[in-house]
Amino acid sequence: MNHQQDNEDILRGCFTKWLDIVIYRARLKYLRETEEKLEIVSIEVLPEGNQPVYEDDLRKVESMTDFDFVEERLADAFAKLPIKRQEILTMLFVEGKKPEEIAEKLNCSAQHVYDQKYQALKKLRVELKKGGDIK
Amino acid sequence: MKPEEFRRILEDAIMGSHEALEKIFELYEPLINKYSRIGGKLDEDLRQYILIHIALNISKFTIPIR
Repeated sequence: MNHQQDNEDILRGCFTKWLDIVIYRARLKYLRETEEKLEIVSIEVLPEGNQPVYEDDLRKVESMTDFDFVEERLADAFAKLPIKRQEILTMLFVEGKKPEEIAEKLNCSAQHVYDQKYQALKKLRVELKKGGDIK
Repeated sequence: MKPEEFRRILEDAIMGSHEALEKIFELYEPLINKYSRIGGKLDEDLRQYILIHIALNISKFTIPIR
């Protein structure tokens, strides 16, 4: 019985490893293909919306509220989190999922989700404190 | 999911079952999403490309003999 169980676990391990390689190669191929599609376009033929930033636009940036900067710093702090934690926070706060649902989706315990949430929020707080946004 | 169930789903997916393939996608969603990010954001085009790539290649996976 145990021997059979071991064989099945080996199968899952083998497949996961195989899939990991397949996905990695697909990603590389996609990035290569999309990179080739990018063309160098002369600045004169750029549509108005894609023109470089000039003085008027800079004035608009200067008038950004504090909130915009806090939001930007929060986004930066969020991007620094490990991908798994980003996913958990997104599912919790954007998609409004319960920790139990997330745990089921990620094949882990609800406690693990709570721990990851706690660690992620703690890290975000530390990052924002560096910028003086929260005390 | 029990290991026997996983084997059955994988075998079905290799044989071309769409339903089994969907289950494999669901099961490996975190891994797929992990590789579908560009600059920290989920890129839906890349995600679709990866899913198609898996669907086209899964038949090449050889199940080890028990």
